[in-house]
Amino acid sequence: MSLVSSYSVSRGTTAGWLTAIRMPPIVAISFAVVVLVIAWSVAPGLFTSYDPVNGVPAQKLLGPSAAHWFGTDHLGRDLYARVVYGTASSVSSALIAVVIGVVAGGVIGLLAGFLGGWVDTVLARLVDVLLAIPKFLLAVIVVTAIGFATTNAAIATGVSAVAVFARVMRSEVIKTRQATFVEAAFLLGGSRWHILWRHVLPNASRSVLPLAVLQFGDSILVIASLAFLGYGDPPPASDWGLLISIGKDYLKWPWLVYAPAFVTIATVLSVNRISRWLRKTD
Amino acid sequence: MRNAYLTYAAKRLVQAVVVILLAYVFTFVVVSILPGDPITNVLRNPQNGFTETEIEEIIAAQGLDKPVLVQLSTSLSNFLTGDLGLSMRTNRPVTTLIAEVLPSTLVLASAGLAVALVLALVIAYGTRFLPKRFGQGLLRDFPSLFLSVPNFVIGLVLIHAFGFQLGLFRVIQPDSFWATFFAAIALGIPISAQIAEVLIANLDHESEQEYAAVARSRGIGQMRLFAKHLLKPSSLPVVTVIALTIGELLGGSLITETVFGRNGIGSLVQRSVTTQDLPVLQAVVSLAAVVFVLVNLIADLVYPLLDPRVKLLGAPERRPAAADESSVNVSKVVTS
Repeated sequence: MSLVSSYSVSRGTTAGWLTAIRMPPIVAISFAVVVLVIAWSVAPGLFTSYDPVNGVPAQKLLGPSAAHWFGTDHLGRDLYARVVYGTASSVSSALIAVVIGVVAGGVIGLLAGFLGGWVDTVLARLVDVLLAIPKFLLAVIVVTAIGFATTNAAIATGVSAVAVFARVMRSEVIKTRQATFVEAAFLLGGSRWHILWRHVLPNASRSVLPLAVLQFGDSILVIASLAFLGYGDPPPASDWGLLISIGKDYLKWPWLVYAPAFVTIATVLSVNRISRWLRKTD
Repeated sequence: MRNAYLTYAAKRLVQAVVVILLAYVFTFVVVSILPGDPITNVLRNPQNGFTETEIEEIIAAQGLDKPVLVQLSTSLSNFLTGDLGLSMRTNRPVTTLIAEVLPSTLVLASAGLAVALVLALVIAYGTRFLPKRFGQGLLRDFPSLFLSVPNFVIGLVLIHAFGFQLGLFRVIQPDSFWATFFAAIALGIPISAQIAEVLIANLDHESEQEYAAVARSRGIGQMRLFAKHLLKPSSLPVVTVIALTIGELLGGSLITETVFGRNGIGSLVQRSVTTQDLPVLQAVVSLAAVVFVLVNLIADLVYPLLDPRVKLLGAPERRPAAADESSVNVSKVVTS
């Protein structure tokens, strides 16, 4: 009796819930960071009362304090507000990149693995070409071709990620195709597309999910690098990479680099940790 | 066996050539779908101060008045003969422009790779043999931390700490020893993470083998066990990983050179992007692809010779699939 009641009590608490899905505390913290970052990007106004664009010139280059958590920049703008307002564009562009990579790479890998034959050969060479050009260089020429903007940087990052997803998807599809239950589905008279949609895709996508999460973190870094080189939206946008790039001209006031860098690193680290946890629990 | 190797080598060689040619065409297509017209953007830009006759000359020299397909075939056949064309902005041969800055990038990239290898070895040794109280667990998290830090941030932190605070080097002298040293660290850290992860995974695997247990039971020291027994079999797959990181060395040097103000391939690309100097971009990107493909070709060709356990005897058609499989595994290990 007491056993039962203590069980139901522990299930009600957060700790019990965490043990139930076997989530280590560090992963829980990672999720908390990601949730905070998403909240920043959805409703930045709730987290800061400062204006990210118009500063108070009299308060320029102040160090971090209770009033200005991350200090202020050379125009007297609150850096924390700039980071919070820059989140939406940094995060959503990484999301765009992942979606492009997963969808385009997924379709290529699916077709190559499932159809085989000449389709596989042609697509494999395409993937080889995408892999042969260094990822960052590929992103740079694509963003040069379609113009400097954060959305375009996201598209370029997505293009540079296509090859990885295509490869993983292809090998997963080939693996699943040879499974007995797929053979059974064929024997039961399932059509190719039914089997592809119902059996191969769900099974293959299992290992794509952790990779997609990992790519999300990587995309944040690549887009930040593109923004750092000035290939994203120009100021007064406040993408994380751009903030660091502006901060590098004021290294005497190092928080202008360290604060946005810290936020970027914490986010990417959390995302990577979640990806690793997803892969392990799989 | 010898025959199988030769067939494999020939197939791999043909594949490499095909990929290089396709990469050139791909780059050409990407670069020439530019929405803006390069003629008006660059040549007629008053800042560049070209006269009308000069513009005519450049258009004729670049073949910009011809259809795209003709441009592609001329540029591809020039590329095959080693002629990379003229820079649109400076009107000098692209080959000369690249040759001028190549040494600086080579120095940086090889120093970066050396830093990455040393760091990876230290991390791998530490996670395997360091006692717990000396932060073994902490060391194991280093690779994933290294992969989460943008490399320009590492560069800026190093400049701030060692350049500004300690005054070890001056930012205005980017070619001095210390500046190069720290640039190499900034470039090498993210790459070391990938090598370290593969090395750690292999070390874990090797140290569970029976020969390792035998060596341990003979009372061999940890350092000796690591250096004499475990390192060699564990570092063979690292050859493949190093070949794969060549692309990142090139991409990373783009940023590192900007951060440290070095004049190399990266800053050449950076300049060409802002001025839309397409021939230079086309040349650098295709040369990067050539380097990447060749290095990986060499790695793939050398690998079976280094590790006799790798079997090439399977039917020739099976080989590409197996190669794909293994590189996927490598990439999985890299990302884990």
